[in-house]
Amino acid sequence: MDLSGRFGARSGDGVPFREAAALESLHIGGGEEFRQMVPPENAGGFAALLELPPTQAVELLHSSSSSASQATTLHSLGTLSFPSNPLLMERASRFSVIATDNQQNGNVSGETTTTSSVPSNEHIKTEPAETETCDQAAVEKQSNRCGKRKELDKKVKSSTKKKNKSSEENEKLPYVHVRARRGQATDSHSLAERARREKINARMKLLQELVPGCDKIQGTALVLDEIINHVQSLQRQVEMLSMRLASVNPRIDFNLDTILASENGSLMDGSFNGATMQLAWPLQVMETEQSYHHRQLQQPPSQQWPFDGLNQPVWGREENQDHGNDHNNLMVGSTSLHPNQVKMEL
Amino acid sequence: MQPTSSMKEEFLKKWQMGLQIYRPLIDNTSVSERRKAIKLSADVAMASLRKGTTCWSRALIQKTATEDNFLVRQMLSGIKAETLINKKLPKVMCHRKIVRRSKKILRRRQSRSAIEEVAAKARKLVKKKTQGLRNVVPGGEFMSNDVLLIQETLDYIVSLQTQVNVMRSIVDAAEAGSERTAYYLGKLKFAIEDG
Repeated sequence: MDLSGRFGARSGDGVPFREAAALESLHIGGGEEFRQMVPPENAGGFAALLELPPTQAVELLHSSSSSASQATTLHSLGTLSFPSNPLLMERASRFSVIATDNQQNGNVSGETTTTSSVPSNEHIKTEPAETETCDQAAVEKQSNRCGKRKELDKKVKSSTKKKNKSSEENEKLPYVHVRARRGQATDSHSLAERARREKINARMKLLQELVPGCDKIQGTALVLDEIINHVQSLQRQVEMLSMRLASVNPRIDFNLDTILASENGSLMDGSFNGATMQLAWPLQVMETEQSYHHRQLQQPPSQQWPFDGLNQPVWGREENQDHGNDHNNLMVGSTSLHPNQVKMEL
Repeated sequence: MQPTSSMKEEFLKKWQMGLQIYRPLIDNTSVSERRKAIKLSADVAMASLRKGTTCWSRALIQKTATEDNFLVRQMLSGIKAETLINKKLPKVMCHRKIVRRSKKILRRRQSRSAIEEVAAKARKLVKKKTQGLRNVVPGGEFMSNDVLLIQETLDYIVSLQTQVNVMRSIVDAAEAGSERTAYYLGKLKFAIEDG
């Protein structure tokens, strides 16, 4: 039978090959009645198979599932890249989509829907990679096809909602190249919407990395929850810190900051390290306290200010007022300092 | 993206500039007023880091301008202050009752399949969360689309983190300073009593 001859040549010819394959499957699996039924609908070929009432299709498929050639038939179907018949393509795509859905496959076979205006040629390389998934899919397809025919449409819809990698987005170009996935509409609206969704997902990923503890969470709503909590906690922290700073002696914060401002003006090296500032302050810091200050400075790594050196002069002045002249020489040296003097020394 | 040291430096400088404006007013203030002054100047400093490029920074500056116009004017350079303060952001007003009623009507006409219902619920939840996010991020109500909202949130979180880091280090230092005072006071007393 010359069909078998054609069947041997598995090179993706398009419709006639498909028909041959379909006929071949019928030939192997079924009895006479099937063969008689199908040929008049040969024009549809594969589509004709789909037209069959479900029960018969089920029997057909089950009987044919055992033979290895079936697998190869469908495998060859999978390798077709740009079939000419859109209708067949649609049906085949739906089936393959179903199969990949059931398998939880990350890669959807990236064949384009066949409106010729749409497909971009960027993804030709990915197709050979994706045919491998089609192999797996193919074997599964037959067993899955039976129960799923009635849920075709819904499966298509759910696959459209899946997040897949087959559409790419190039943000640098003025045009966004988005590849339509199988079984999806290809009008400009849905394409634009899909591009927009991809953008949102990319940004959400960045957010997830930024906010601690968001990587493990699945689902947009929960991630957004975490983000909201994080922002609120940061805002509350700012309030707490400003409250703490305000409750510290007022002279400290405002004076310190003027001192720091002047200091910052002069030390524009960029490195915010206390090290550079320590060098600038040896005059003001007494010997006995210098070691103490250094110790203090090294302890908290985040805080790198020689505030200790700064605090001394300020507190020194206050102590002066409180204790009169009963001073240790701890305070004596520092009392001579004055913020203005500090500035001049800088 | 984590806060960089240059960002922290800039923030600190601007914050101090703002605090200096309050310096003549130190004596009359209570704790709460000082806190407010600190917070406002910190906020304006954080927002001015972005120099008006982001939506949240503009909204934040406008918000603080309602509380303390003088501070904002002083802290920002002249031209920008005028444009930022006077410009009114377009308000996206939606009359909630009307929106709710029309949504109810739409819902009645929609088909209800199991999967669609689940998806619709998920979408509703996400919408609620994004609304919550808009409430938290300054100027969120004015961001028309979600992409912009998420971008702004990213930037806002990074800026908030710099603000918190710098403020925390200053507070720690200031409080450590007060501890050292106690330490020195103790030392003093000891020295006085002993010697």
